[in-house]
Amino acid sequence: MRLPSGTYAQNYGQDIAMVRTRSHWIFLAVLMVFVFTIPQWASNATLALATIIGITIISAHGLNILTGNCGMVSLGHSGFMMVGGYTLAILCRSAGLPFWVALPVAGLVAGIVGIIFGLPSLRIKGFYLIMATVAAYFIIHWLVLQFRSLTGGTEGMPVPAPDLFGLSIRDKTIYYYVVMVLVVLATVVAKNILRTRAGRAFVAIRDNDLAAEVMGVNLFSYRLQAFFIGCVFAGIAGGLSVQYYSFANVEQFPFFDSVWLLGMLIIGGMGSVSGVIYGVVAIKLLQQLAVKIGPSLAELVNPQAAVGLSLILPSVAIILFLIFAPQGISHMWERFRNYYQAWPY
Amino acid sequence: MKRYWVIGLVLIVLLALPLMAACGEEETETTTTAAVTETTAGATETTAGATETTAGGETPTTVGGPVTLYLGGTFALTGAYAEDCAAVLAGFEDYTKWVNENHILAPWYTDRTIPGNITFELLWGDDALAPDKTVTIYEDLKSKGLLVERISGTPQTMALKDLLIEDQIGATCQTAAPAALLPPGNIFLKNPILTDSLAGAADWFLESWADTSRKPRVALLTADSALGRNLDIPEMYAYLEEIGYEYVGAQFVPQPATAPPTTQLSWLKENNVDLTLGAAVNPTTQPTIKEAVRLGMGPDQPYKITFCFGEPGHLQIMVPDMGAMANGTVVSGDMCAWEDKVDGVAFANMLQDTYRPNNRNTNIMYLDGIVEAMTQVEALRLASLETNPAALTSVDVLQKGFWQIKDFNTGGICANNLTYGEGDPQGIEMVRIQQVQDGKIVDLGSRPIKRNILPAAK
Repeated sequence: MRLPSGTYAQNYGQDIAMVRTRSHWIFLAVLMVFVFTIPQWASNATLALATIIGITIISAHGLNILTGNCGMVSLGHSGFMMVGGYTLAILCRSAGLPFWVALPVAGLVAGIVGIIFGLPSLRIKGFYLIMATVAAYFIIHWLVLQFRSLTGGTEGMPVPAPDLFGLSIRDKTIYYYVVMVLVVLATVVAKNILRTRAGRAFVAIRDNDLAAEVMGVNLFSYRLQAFFIGCVFAGIAGGLSVQYYSFANVEQFPFFDSVWLLGMLIIGGMGSVSGVIYGVVAIKLLQQLAVKIGPSLAELVNPQAAVGLSLILPSVAIILFLIFAPQGISHMWERFRNYYQAWPY
Repeated sequence: MKRYWVIGLVLIVLLALPLMAACGEEETETTTTAAVTETTAGATETTAGATETTAGGETPTTVGGPVTLYLGGTFALTGAYAEDCAAVLAGFEDYTKWVNENHILAPWYTDRTIPGNITFELLWGDDALAPDKTVTIYEDLKSKGLLVERISGTPQTMALKDLLIEDQIGATCQTAAPAALLPPGNIFLKNPILTDSLAGAADWFLESWADTSRKPRVALLTADSALGRNLDIPEMYAYLEEIGYEYVGAQFVPQPATAPPTTQLSWLKENNVDLTLGAAVNPTTQPTIKEAVRLGMGPDQPYKITFCFGEPGHLQIMVPDMGAMANGTVVSGDMCAWEDKVDGVAFANMLQDTYRPNNRNTNIMYLDGIVEAMTQVEALRLASLETNPAALTSVDVLQKGFWQIKDFNTGGICANNLTYGEGDPQGIEMVRIQQVQDGKIVDLGSRPIKRNILPAAK
């Protein structure tokens, strides 16, 4: 961690701490207070948007581990979310398991499915692995539709509202808090994974897999671990999404969501944990902005042209970031901070 | 040490907030009151959100101030349904302008007047067929005072169904997945559900089946989407076999079609299928029929087969594009044709002459927009008869509005008058069958529905 001049680690605990300086703590506290007081002042629409952003952040953390840290680009992430979503729906609906048990199981099942589809990663990489993950999405989609007795097929399946000490989690405010606590947890876990032996191995594989292998990194094992961890995050996000809508349906997990998730990583900064949050918030807010101004713009131009902004705005943002700031918002923030810390020199 | 204090404080805040949110609030009725326009003209002052108007600061009155009531909802203006939904939106826009200028429900409903102090305003957002956008738009419009809702597709239906029940908001929709009726919620349909719609077409085909040596062979040829796959349920196969068909199987075509569905059509040929049933929009149905003609398949082609689609696969869009190439194609549903000499079409033409003379919308879903907007206005009007419009809530509009709509004349746009009620969101009782003959749409009559072919409750 880059620290201001004069601040240095005096022991190992300080050296590995995620939050070090007073300003870090203040920033974190303000952020937490902001995030956890949103239901007190925000409208239902803002609350719904914040909940959806939270769920997307959890999913994007998973993709960031897989793609940003381990270098394996996946376009099947939405499919793994689908696995988690349906697992939760089946466990809650058919097996009668409580939400709190079903959610981690949903993550685990998605992780195991991720391992299965990650098996080709030993032999293929780059473009070919992307195609394999695309295939994974469509295979999962097809299987969900075929196992109608289990998944409800095209009609999907309703999911019962969970309880927490007698309080219905379907209450939007409480559900928001549940999602946000999990977002905090997922962010801490994602950050910590990068500091483990596995996390360093992921980065080594991403930077140069041959060199990593020569140094003794077991490529196959670590690639599968990355798939497992990334898909656990996706599964939990999928489960939360299904629970939020009280319904599981394949159309909740369109293929294009995987593409947007990748775009979020590009905008936020591939491989950066904080970048995931920046990217998700940026894309979701851009989409929301387009939705908001669409009706007003439609008075000047054709409504379809006006609403096309919801696709155009984030797409243009991705292109601009790829050209002018390929390392994303997190890197821009890092540069600003360095400049600010060195100011006026 | 300081670090532990901060962590402890953050943890306490994290734990306390959900509990405060859960325990501190009374169970409140999730209703929205109509927005009231704030005016300061003269001595009358109306306060936003308030239910009473104070005249001259002395005697409170409860009616008379200008009131804005909202209609609209979500429209899928991006994606496969974009063309259709843009036409629905155009219908909503024009009808809203007209009703504000004329203060009656429709030209044939001169007795159903709208009080002069009520102005309708259209609120809408593009959901792009995405459940997350649908939910945020829904919440946003609700917070602006929308007491009704409008839904455009199956994923949105599933995302909003429970919310609409919780919030006690009535929504209009052209048609929906059979699952939308499990249990019947607040989504009021003007078309039959897709299974019922196609069952009507199956009835019609069976009536003309002359070969007594074998049963007609039927298959699904439908969109590879929630819309299309709505039909792919055992209850639908069971119904078809029960009335005398041999059910062969199902083929799915990407929506919109990304390539001619040669493989799917060849499969139908190999399996000697006589009739196909499907649900798809025109970007899927048109390439399918074109490819079928190329392969020599159709009622007038060497391989005799009839293709039936449920609405929104409108012939009124297909025929102008394809002409006689679409001969024999059947569509079942609810919409009349632009050529029909009915009051509803005359009204639609008048609206277009008035509000878009140089930019006419020829998509038949324009008529759907008029009917849905009219239904929303009727629900708001009926509720306003019982409750002060300025104090209307979504519950009023649902219970005193939508549930009270009986024998509602759509000017002949729908196959029959619409009747809704509590637990009865399917307003239509007939399914209209149309076929392309010599490049023109021919009405083959209507058949009764209400079979409610629904997936078994899980």
